[in-house]
Amino acid sequence: MSQSNRLAAGGLIDRASSIGFTFDGRRYAGHPGDTLASALLANGVKLVGRSFKYHRPRGVLTAGSEEPNALVELRSGARREPNAKATVAELYDGLEATSQNRWPSLAFDLMAVNQLASPVFVAGFYYKTFMWPAKFWEKLYEPMIRRAAGLGRLSGEADPDSYEKITAHCDVLVIGSGPAGLAAALAAGRSGARVILAEEDFALGGRLNSDRRLIGDKTSAAWAAEAVAELESLPEVTVLRRTPVVGVYDDGVYAALERVSDHMREPGAHQPRQRLWRIVAKRSVLAAGALERPIPFGGNDTPGVMLASAVRTYLNRFGVAPGKRAVVYANNDDAAATIADLAAAGCEVVAVVDARGDAPALHAAARAARASLVFGGAIARAYGGRSLKGCEIVDGRGGGFKVACDLIAVSGGWNPSIQLTTHLSARPVWDDRLAAFLPGARPVGMEVAGAAEGAYGLGDALAAGFRAGAAAAEACGFAAGAVDVPATDQEPGDTHGRGPWRSPVKRGKAFVDFQNDVTVSDVELAAREGFKSVEHLKRYTTLGMATDQGRTSNVLGLALMAEITGRSIPETGITAARAPFTPVAIGALAGAHRHKEFRPTRLPPSHFWAEEQGAVFTETGQWMRAAYFPRPGEKDWFESAVREVTTVRTAVGVYDASTLGKIDIQGADAGVFLDRVYVNAFSSLAVGKARYGLMLREDGVAMDDGTTTRLGETHYYMTTTTANAGGVMRHLELCKQWLWPELDVHFSSVTDQWAQYAIAGPRSREVVAALVDEGFDVSNEALPYMGARELTVCGGVKARLFRLSFSGELAYELAVPARYGDAMIRAIIKAGEPFGICPYGAEALAIMRIEKGHAAGPELNGNTTAADLGMGKMLSKKKDFIGRTMSGREAFLDPERPSLVGFRPVDRSARLRSGAHFVPRGETPSAANDQGYMTSTAYSPSNGHWIGLGFLARGPERMGEIVRAYDPVRGGDVEVEVVSPVFVDPEGARLRG
Amino acid sequence: MAETLVARSALRAHVAPPAAPAGAPGFTLREVPDLTLASVAALKGREAELAEAVRAAYGLDLPQGPKRVASGPVAFVGAGPGKWLAVSSAATDFSALPAAVADQSDGRSAFRLAGPKARETLATLIQVDLHPRAFGAGDVALTHAASIAVTLWQLDDEPSYEILMFRTYAATLWRWIVEAGRSRGVEARLAG
Repeated sequence: MSQSNRLAAGGLIDRASSIGFTFDGRRYAGHPGDTLASALLANGVKLVGRSFKYHRPRGVLTAGSEEPNALVELRSGARREPNAKATVAELYDGLEATSQNRWPSLAFDLMAVNQLASPVFVAGFYYKTFMWPAKFWEKLYEPMIRRAAGLGRLSGEADPDSYEKITAHCDVLVIGSGPAGLAAALAAGRSGARVILAEEDFALGGRLNSDRRLIGDKTSAAWAAEAVAELESLPEVTVLRRTPVVGVYDDGVYAALERVSDHMREPGAHQPRQRLWRIVAKRSVLAAGALERPIPFGGNDTPGVMLASAVRTYLNRFGVAPGKRAVVYANNDDAAATIADLAAAGCEVVAVVDARGDAPALHAAARAARASLVFGGAIARAYGGRSLKGCEIVDGRGGGFKVACDLIAVSGGWNPSIQLTTHLSARPVWDDRLAAFLPGARPVGMEVAGAAEGAYGLGDALAAGFRAGAAAAEACGFAAGAVDVPATDQEPGDTHGRGPWRSPVKRGKAFVDFQNDVTVSDVELAAREGFKSVEHLKRYTTLGMATDQGRTSNVLGLALMAEITGRSIPETGITAARAPFTPVAIGALAGAHRHKEFRPTRLPPSHFWAEEQGAVFTETGQWMRAAYFPRPGEKDWFESAVREVTTVRTAVGVYDASTLGKIDIQGADAGVFLDRVYVNAFSSLAVGKARYGLMLREDGVAMDDGTTTRLGETHYYMTTTTANAGGVMRHLELCKQWLWPELDVHFSSVTDQWAQYAIAGPRSREVVAALVDEGFDVSNEALPYMGARELTVCGGVKARLFRLSFSGELAYELAVPARYGDAMIRAIIKAGEPFGICPYGAEALAIMRIEKGHAAGPELNGNTTAADLGMGKMLSKKKDFIGRTMSGREAFLDPERPSLVGFRPVDRSARLRSGAHFVPRGETPSAANDQGYMTSTAYSPSNGHWIGLGFLARGPERMGEIVRAYDPVRGGDVEVEVVSPVFVDPEGARLRG
Repeated sequence: MAETLVARSALRAHVAPPAAPAGAPGFTLREVPDLTLASVAALKGREAELAEAVRAAYGLDLPQGPKRVASGPVAFVGAGPGKWLAVSSAATDFSALPAAVADQSDGRSAFRLAGPKARETLATLIQVDLHPRAFGAGDVALTHAASIAVTLWQLDDEPSYEILMFRTYAATLWRWIVEAGRSRGVEARLAG
């Protein structure tokens, strides 16, 4: 394909090399340095997409990230990306783009019949039409609307690319690399400050590359290139291309999104697709420039209608003529440069329509280009359908005529890009002279320079940039020195565009928000129906709510509403923006941490050994725990777990208890401290003894439990539940640092220091005896139940041996330094072989704790008190402790409060399920008859039937009573008998044996 | 008597993969094995006694704030007000210090990162400023690497860093560093 609209010379493109791409399957060629939009325009392609609601043909309106029309799908397969802006998409060899939101093809879109029905598709149409019946909304209306009105398709496949997050710190962050941004970065960078310059474009220079201006004796583009070269030579300056700053946060934190690989067919080896920068800056200079406003007129969305500044960008930066016969429509002098540049590029400017009639600069340019000049006129409508063919122009005296043209350049004034100043809720301020919103209060540490502050002139922008950059560096303690602002050529005249805001002629659809298909009539309708505040306007018409965030439409919509309702713009409202400034892929927010790496995986010391045994693992918080160890012939977890329980109850088993939280507590006041955090006493505990302890929250609700052992006079060793280890540590630190700083007590987390194995079962003593070194006695006399001692095992490895039992059997917990954990489990298994040892996992453990009636997570659920758990008697009356006072509140003393009991099915073959609610026999299941709920259930191999734990009103008084366990969610309704929660060895003879 | 126990690292190749760069390494990643570690907290009213004991035993002034001081194999790392981490590359018994001392030799794992790309790689995981103007040899940070609590210090200006984490997080942190380092020429080898 020939690039029919490519100019013979000029532009920041590499004409020496040609790259191929496809659009809707057709092959085209472009050059490095092109965007998809510039390359399409170079190839004479004007029709790029279909609009959101009416499926109207759309072309390219802008040359930047504000583009509302030229949205395409990029790439194919899993990398397909919808809603990509062709004006931002950097051309690469093999780029594959597809138009979206059309069926069956872009040129012939059946959905365009929506246009015929457009009188009903006005603002609020969906709200008014799809109201009844309400249940149809989710199933019928919404899917139907989504199919008809869409913006591209997601791939539906997993994202094959990776993302990265990185933190950078700097003295000065400069946002934007136009004249003000480059000047600010130079001033700050030369001072030696650490500077980050972030630019969303792949080329640095902003409008310096788009306009033909002179700085000193250089073209503006050449000056920009030199400035960039100097910045890149400075060691403390980081230049980030393709990196929009997308959010401003407290304390000088900014988010920026670097599109690392979006300009390549696919990311290079090990390269992320995008990198999310968290930039911490002492100061920042916002030099984001300004965006031109369109002027609505009928058919102003016809492909070929373009912003006047964008026309210059295509001519000067990309060497592309967006049209051959142009009409210019402006309400200010800025378009004078467009007229001159079009003429210089050999394009015919057939007419210049000046909406005001008193613009000498515009008139001079029109005369120089030999264009017809219309004073105080307007474009009545543009026509041509899929490609602009001409327009009707009216003059100020009521006359009108048609002009054939293939380009209309529109210039309606400028909106400073102040979005980032409003991310922390500051409100912008309307300026009548500039006819624009200017930044209000700046985020702390931010200065605004150049066009973003309303300084549109090149000389003003350079001066402001140098000044702001130097001031920012000096605020960080660097000497910026004198600023030498280069001279510039003559500025255009009055570029402020104070209206008219629209064509006075109403003929056809005049679009305000192109992306969401909101017209001038929609704004009028909103006003008629009372949606006059800007917030209502936005929500009723969807104006400004598309992915372009209303960059070209918000201020315009507001100005029109002000005009319609006869109010000033500030009276009508203001527009503020929220992060992100441009759309951010969710993948970039997740960064590298997704799937299995979303959070850390903690591997207990026996993990590698357990893998070798073929264990099946379960996640408990961050931990991987062995759930069960299947043996050949066992068909499911149930069989394995039952076999493991039976082995423990009849012989011996071993379990890795290392995941329990372990806290080393030392200090003269350690005992006193523990007395205050536990409901029961620990200062009275003998050295070499362990005790079960229960902690309450301040509100009297049970927080955590575990055993704590006194290793020495001032030395304790606490264990917590696996899930609460971190929370308990924080709680202890809070108590020490804030409640009782006078106590001498110190904590150290030793969870990872010790590999701790529970060896449980009637033969456990024999196994332990085989492991401990000579001279250590593990007999019942030497180490009774709840005893503890430090000793050595396996030839000198220091160890701690505790006589603790969770299973209810004779049991020990043996702790060795974690580096020996792998060898220790192997040694335990070997020593236990003669006694029939088997490893058991979390499933067997859970069954055994229910058999013993021990409370665990389902019972310590944040709603239950010590009394609810049957531990009311543990609450010491001799001392104060956290939660004591609130334990006595009225609701907690209510005798009807459900408390912990056991349950067994009347029909012993019936299965119990946790979550079932208890209802008295013969009563209707209802909230009024609800007497509590089942928290834990298991099949008990020791009893030969299902058992359960649960909370029942007056439970302990109702032993032997039969109630219904009603479980409507799973269709369960079982009669159960209230029994003791201890189903195995209620006297505790075994664990003391 | 049972057979003797063999000490093992928290890392295995299948959960903490090694990596070799195509060209010259941007940085190296190694486990630092066999460190003696102890958390040391000054007992109330005995702060001076502890400082004197450390000076007498190791010739070191306990650092105030997030700093590391070293002499021979022994180093003390500031770990909070009145708290230190005692580190030694040799067998050292810190338990006799007049303080609350808890052995952490098995509770933490340590990695060393060294080379020109070490700093940038760490910046993908750690949010503190590691620029030479802000963080140099002897500086310490108690922070987090993504969601893993770590203690980090800089050893020299190569730059090389040591990073400590709870032992059961070692495999995950290794993977995360290797993943972030792949585009930066990580050369990662497991010990032994």
